[in-house]
Amino acid sequence: MWKNIYLWLDERIGFNDLNKNLLDRPEPKTTWWNTLGSASLFLFVLQGLTGIFLTVYYTPSPDHAYDSVQYIMEGVAFGWLIRGIHHWGATLMVILVFIHMLRVFYTASFKYPRELTWLIGIGLFLTTLGMGFTGYLLPWNQKAFWATTVGTQIAGTAPYIGEFILKALRGGPDLSALTLQRFFSAHIWMIPAALAGLIGVHLFLIIKHGESHFPTKDD
Amino acid sequence: MRHDDLCHEVVSNLPTHGDCFVARDATRNDSGAIMDDENKKQINERYEKHLEKGERFWPDTIFRDLIMSLGIFTLLILLATFVGIPAEPKADPSDTSYIPRPEWYFLFLFKFLALYGQLPVIGKIEWLATVLVPSVALGVLTLIPFIERSPRRHYSKRVLPISIMTIMVVGIVLLTLMSEVPTVSEDGSTLLGTLQTVVGIFIPLTAYVLLFVFKNNTRLMLWTTGLAAVSMIFISGTVLTLAPEKKTEETEVATTLVDQIFAGQDLYSVHCTECHGDDGSIAVIEGVEGLEGEKITPIHSRDVLYTITDSAMLEVIAYGRPNAGMPPFGKTYGGELSRSEMDYIVVFMRYMWDDRFEVPQEALKPLFPPLAEGEVPSYNVHILPIVKRYCISCHRPGKDNNNYLMTTYEEILTTGDNAANNIIAGDENSYFLQVIQEQPIMNPENPEEELIGVMPPTRPLKPNVVDAFLRWIMNGMPRTAAETGALSTTPTPEVTPTP
Repeated sequence: MWKNIYLWLDERIGFNDLNKNLLDRPEPKTTWWNTLGSASLFLFVLQGLTGIFLTVYYTPSPDHAYDSVQYIMEGVAFGWLIRGIHHWGATLMVILVFIHMLRVFYTASFKYPRELTWLIGIGLFLTTLGMGFTGYLLPWNQKAFWATTVGTQIAGTAPYIGEFILKALRGGPDLSALTLQRFFSAHIWMIPAALAGLIGVHLFLIIKHGESHFPTKDD
Repeated sequence: MRHDDLCHEVVSNLPTHGDCFVARDATRNDSGAIMDDENKKQINERYEKHLEKGERFWPDTIFRDLIMSLGIFTLLILLATFVGIPAEPKADPSDTSYIPRPEWYFLFLFKFLALYGQLPVIGKIEWLATVLVPSVALGVLTLIPFIERSPRRHYSKRVLPISIMTIMVVGIVLLTLMSEVPTVSEDGSTLLGTLQTVVGIFIPLTAYVLLFVFKNNTRLMLWTTGLAAVSMIFISGTVLTLAPEKKTEETEVATTLVDQIFAGQDLYSVHCTECHGDDGSIAVIEGVEGLEGEKITPIHSRDVLYTITDSAMLEVIAYGRPNAGMPPFGKTYGGELSRSEMDYIVVFMRYMWDDRFEVPQEALKPLFPPLAEGEVPSYNVHILPIVKRYCISCHRPGKDNNNYLMTTYEEILTTGDNAANNIIAGDENSYFLQVIQEQPIMNPENPEEELIGVMPPTRPLKPNVVDAFLRWIMNGMPRTAAETGALSTTPTPEVTPTP
């Protein structure tokens, strides 16, 4: 019975090819420095999962955001753990992605044939920062409110287009319910979608070219 | 072959290998400057060789990845459990005293902007630092594969790019660490600001110029980078040591409902009791300068609680009712209370007076532990909560109170225009005890005039509260519970050994 199901699936998916292309690949000797990328991927998945749970109780409006976060911390079973992981995961993800980028730079892994992987990686770095920036406002506390105020203000100092950027980010001249709503939307839909797409391309390129080896004196 | 042998001989005598490899590359008809098809072929061949003596993705590589992810997961659970997330008060757009700071990973940029703003002339052109510098840095970072086009990967052949990046990273880390240190100290000294500018702008800039000057000399480039990094770290260390101790402003944030009710109660006692009474029942204001005899709606009534929503109540507290004599309390309108604090007051009013809300049992504990027969109350345990609830609303700085302040133990005993007669240990005729028992003190020079009216002006204190004050003053105003032990006349049960 199980064997028949396996065979039926194998006929349609091709486990052998999958195994050969994804898992049973040769790699150069790797070290702990090579785990930073997969660790960032793990954090992305973890942030996604904890984030989905948080949206069950979170309400993106100035009247209720603070109280709903308070309720997650005090009223929901293990809410403190889910939010704690999400909060610290965000910090750790920024650090890991940054160190991962430095590792790639110092070992010159961005060179031929991996230039495109680097470009996608920069996109991943910026979207990760974007996730941090938009997520920071959501608890609607003093720290969040004023951090976003200065953050958008800095973006607003650009010549000519500054005012437009400022208004587009805030949804008006001041931080308001609109700002919270669009940051929420960006945080849970727009940026994660972009992030997931970029991760897909990044992974495809890594599997295609394999991990780069650490440079030796010949390189 | 001969060339290689020669090369190894040279290598063993030289600390830097760069020149040697350039020489060897030349024999391969490979200038090493720009990538060509020959380079690509060599790179791919070398990679194949590394694969041959390498490992398998499954199970070798992925095993280490999984351990790393598991470690990170464990770390996050530990952080969430033992460090947690610091409680912050609710966003308050009107609180202009709040010092805004960006997310921690933008702090270095924030610091850089502050330092840049101190520069003469160009410091005034803000967008150079906020837009141009970050954009150029980001652009260079993105285009690195197309800027650094040499096919060489080994560190010894990439001294210039590695140096540039290292100084940049050291600068970013140091600026993040120094982000709390002000650029202008409280005494007006700009020493710390100058040192920070040296770390954040002058040393990196000088080092970059030198790096390009020494572009062809590996040793000088390494010296430049090393010296720049060490001096930056050293100066930052000095700045951090000299920096004034950070004043940690403790903001009490009530997270649980019970905490919020208590916080609301305390705030209500300070700001509202003066006019509305400790239970919100006052209909005619007494004893408040300027509002004497003003008729108000008792705010504990259903008329108020059932018809005014939380947000409307918040607005009343924030804006006040200027025409009816109620001043604004919200910071937006010049008052003292933040958004969170006004929220707590509303929570307190709802749960204590609105019969549609059920008070949690823990919020109903008595104001002070009931006194047993012959027990002496202490300031810390009994008097402090009473004073906080009934007295402090008027007896604090800035109120009309004959200069009698009651915010600390010392103030209660020593301040006020009538301090000498106010509280006398063991004297039943202390002014304090007379006025709380509804006997005003008459002016000795003009017996018609009240020197001190009855306290509190609106409604007498409950008998058990008066009793607590009476016992406290008659027994010499003990401060701590330990001091009262000796004064207590409660017979301590003696343990008599049974024969």
